[in-house]
Amino acid sequence: MKIELAIKSREKPFIPIEAECITTQTFLSKDPAEITVWCGNREKKLHDVFDVSIEGKAESPDNIEITLSGDCSVVKRVGEYMTGGKIKILGNIGMHCGNFMSGGIIEIMGDADSWLGREMRGGQIVCHGNAADYPGSGYRGEKKGMTGGIIEIFGNAGDYAAETMTGGEIIIHGNTGHAPGAEMHGGILTIYGECCMPCANMDGGICYIFGTANDILPTFENKGRITHTETGQLLTMFKGDFARRIGNGELFIANYTNHK
Amino acid sequence: MADILVKNAYVIDPLNEINGEVMDIAISDGRIVESVKDSATVIDAKGHLTLPGGIDSHSHICGTKVNFGRYMSPEDMRAGRGRAQPYMHPVSGYSVPTVYANTYRYSKLGYTSILEGAMAPLEARHTHEEFSYNNLQDTMANTLFDGNWSIMEAVADKDLKRVAAIIGWVLSAVRGFAVKITNPGGTEMWGWGKDTGCIHDKIDYFGITPAEIIEYLIRGNELLNLPHSAHIHCNNLGKPGNYKCTLETMQRTPDLNDKRQTLYMTHVQYHSYGGSTWADFCSKTDDITWMINRKPQIVIDMGQVMFGKTTTMTADGPMEFNLYRLYNNKWSNHDVELETASGIIPVRYSRKNLVNSIMWSIGLELALMTKNPWQCMLATDNPNGAPFVKYPEIIALLMSKNYRDKEFATINQDTEKRVFLPSLDRELDWNEIAIMTRAGQAKALGITSIGKGHLGVGAEADIAIYPVLTDEIDPTSEYDKVISGFSCTDYTIKRGRVVSKNGNCLVNGDNATIWVNPKIPDNYDMGKDPEFRKKFDLYYSVAMENYPVEYEYLHRNICIETETDL
Repeated sequence: MKIELAIKSREKPFIPIEAECITTQTFLSKDPAEITVWCGNREKKLHDVFDVSIEGKAESPDNIEITLSGDCSVVKRVGEYMTGGKIKILGNIGMHCGNFMSGGIIEIMGDADSWLGREMRGGQIVCHGNAADYPGSGYRGEKKGMTGGIIEIFGNAGDYAAETMTGGEIIIHGNTGHAPGAEMHGGILTIYGECCMPCANMDGGICYIFGTANDILPTFENKGRITHTETGQLLTMFKGDFARRIGNGELFIANYTNHK
Repeated sequence: MADILVKNAYVIDPLNEINGEVMDIAISDGRIVESVKDSATVIDAKGHLTLPGGIDSHSHICGTKVNFGRYMSPEDMRAGRGRAQPYMHPVSGYSVPTVYANTYRYSKLGYTSILEGAMAPLEARHTHEEFSYNNLQDTMANTLFDGNWSIMEAVADKDLKRVAAIIGWVLSAVRGFAVKITNPGGTEMWGWGKDTGCIHDKIDYFGITPAEIIEYLIRGNELLNLPHSAHIHCNNLGKPGNYKCTLETMQRTPDLNDKRQTLYMTHVQYHSYGGSTWADFCSKTDDITWMINRKPQIVIDMGQVMFGKTTTMTADGPMEFNLYRLYNNKWSNHDVELETASGIIPVRYSRKNLVNSIMWSIGLELALMTKNPWQCMLATDNPNGAPFVKYPEIIALLMSKNYRDKEFATINQDTEKRVFLPSLDRELDWNEIAIMTRAGQAKALGITSIGKGHLGVGAEADIAIYPVLTDEIDPTSEYDKVISGFSCTDYTIKRGRVVSKNGNCLVNGDNATIWVNPKIPDNYDMGKDPEFRKKFDLYYSVAMENYPVEYEYLHRNICIETETDL
């Protein structure tokens, strides 16, 4: 089943749209005419907000492909609880894209707003542009962030990427902002660009930084240089964070400056 | 206010000794009356269980502490979300929900009066502001006196009348309802990074012991003839082997009042632990309930623990700090100048955990082994043991041995050797549940005289009608029907208005704050006492003139004026 959703021009385009219904399994179980989204404080029919076209039929979510076009930078929670299939976003996407998803693929051709793949359990998110703050992290107060799956960001990411990450993998090809991997418990975080104060308070998991890490915290212990087996690159290994009772995290960094 | 006639109600009203009579209840002008005109609105109760409105004599729902729990645990707001409806604001939260969520959920359970368990006098304004939005239940506030410098100095001087005068001045200044003693002396020692051991250890600087503070506050409370007795949270909460301290406190309690108890001991579950470390931790409810059964001057509440996530919050600062060292989770502690302390920690009680399983058993044992239901109140110390929405489950556990055994099979296997619960066959009946959830609580709080906790003529028309046909349900086997019956009332009537029907609130309520104002003679007026005024000049961060809570904070209120023996 192929579903195309093109956002219609709106009188007030800045009003956010809560679109947790835009996931593959919704279209399997519900009549498209009955699906509703909230625009600000008004509940509206999906086809009043989007031009909807549906082709073919599907037996399982895995055979469903949704394409979103137009400026979706205020469309929130697309792909929430997604279990399979594919969502392709041609432009930018709003906050909380891929919340709690456990399977399938979300591909974003533009930029993603904050909380991309928050508390994700499985599946894959590919973002060709930049991602804003908190990709792959847990929501406010939550102890476990992403627990499985892969997030790959080809642009830059904002602050607190992979906060409280517990499993899965995050790959960021550009730079990240402040404190990536804060409170990390598990999983693998890879950053190819620059970052600042990585992995504060981590107690598990692995973080590779192939660019420059500024302001390494003094609570990490330098374990010396090692050669990365896959790339042959020389990396400095750190263990920590010893501000925790158990600091079992591992940090591998190509270039770094110490915190002053 | 329209007249109402509740027809065909199966009434249990322990204070008037009515145990299961089908009758009609007439309501006019917010009170229960003999009869009403034919034009009255008729509510058909269909023979369903009809009780006086529920009363919770120890719950933390409003105040700075609760609010700190809210912004410390944003993850808690992800549960329990509800949309706005006519007469209902949107709500969220589970263990520390929004004020509206608390009031709607209590109303759904049939509760109409609540006592906030601990209010620091200095921070009373916040509590009263939240009270005014807790609009479907009448509210009262326990006021903390455990570490009050003026009181401790008066105790050191052995001046009982001065202790009473200070209690009286503070209670009427902050519009409080009763005297709360939380870890006496310990909260003051916490200011120095220490705690007291048991009740005979000396407190630094003041040179007095917790036992003396307790005794003077109990006697001071009786000198003022306050409606409620002193309300104590004993020393050493949550420590293995603390039952000795609890027994000692019980043993020293005099019997000073013939109308009600002399000491209300709250969440005794947390104070009934045997053993010396967590390794040999066990239940000592046999000793504790033995003492309660022979001391009619003591009333306790269970402080039942139920499994799941919750937030602990208390004025007992040192205890919360110990909990933090146990869990290594986020935590908050606070010292209230010259008065008390506080602490908050989110916790999860787990079935697999031996200590948690024993705690769960102890709460139930207390209720089952206390012979007189008027001496044991049903409460969870909301939200410390569990959020109050778990009350129906606790009722079902107390009413069904079958359900208890079934639950017992799911908890830690080693629990059996350390508790008494499997050997207890007692099953409470409907009347005993009514006593533990309303009549007994009203009597313990001393608010029956203002028409709370019963359905006699002249009583306040606070009524809860539950979808329970007591003749058709066998609580032993059909405990799920007991749970669902007590979870949502058909009708909750508050002061003569239907405030909640099938769980949906129907009005923006108009609650009252109940507070006390003892009539203190001029020579004992602390407002004019130079020593007492000096505390404000030298140490308090507020001036004495700014300390009392203004009337604007009270809205509707009921002031209980008492004659004192000063």
